[in-house]
Amino acid sequence: MSLFTSLSVSASGMSAQRARAELLVENIANSETTRTPEGGPYRRKDVVFQQENVTSPFAGVLADQMNSGSVGVGVSDIVVDQSEPEMRYLPEHPDAGPDGYVAFPRFNPAEEMVNLMGASNGYQANVAAMTSIKEMLQQSISLLK
Amino acid sequence: MIGQIAQSLGKYMDVLAARQALITSNIANIDTPGYRTLDLNFQQEFQNLLDNGGDVPGAPSEVEGLRIKNDGNNVNMDRELRLLAENSIRFSAASTLAQGQIALVKSAIDSLQG
Repeated sequence: MSLFTSLSVSASGMSAQRARAELLVENIANSETTRTPEGGPYRRKDVVFQQENVTSPFAGVLADQMNSGSVGVGVSDIVVDQSEPEMRYLPEHPDAGPDGYVAFPRFNPAEEMVNLMGASNGYQANVAAMTSIKEMLQQSISLLK
Repeated sequence: MIGQIAQSLGKYMDVLAARQALITSNIANIDTPGYRTLDLNFQQEFQNLLDNGGDVPGAPSEVEGLRIKNDGNNVNMDRELRLLAENSIRFSAASTLAQGQIALVKSAIDSLQG
């Protein structure tokens, strides 16, 4: 287990949180979208994280990784919300059904914003970890000076 | 004598680095369902390296007594960030001390060249 691998672990955390934030932003942007290529209103999406082994691109020390316990994170799945759309009575709307109701995405702004804050905090924590690992590496190098 | 201090410092930094790697992994997995916080017993691992040699601490264990969230994850961001800062400062102190040890040897060599 080298400190360089820890940099990859932090990077995996950053990219996972970024993927999550991207989907949350997509959900917010499409909160009023009634028409999609699949038909029907937009459905909110969310990520599922899972542990993932990462290796440093430089040090191929796989055997060393096996029992170190240090693992990165990755996006294993993107789940699409299957809840019933919200029906609003708008007879003039081009997407209105014969009964005059339009299907809108089931959107909860508070939920999306709280998740977005979580993603942002998680990203920052990973940046802090990476900075700290970087400092440790630099201090080790400065021993040679 | 100098060699022994430098060696102990080296092992101290090895354990710190191993622990920092675990903290990094805990932070990366802060939202991973089912992930449990990993850590190592610092004093025990350090003592073990001093007594038995080697430079790789043993396998980490799950930390007890942390609140488990609804998704089965028990990473506490505050705990991890505190440990991250603490470890970083300890490492900084150890590397400064090690630098001092190296400077001592260097000055001895320089005085011979005189």
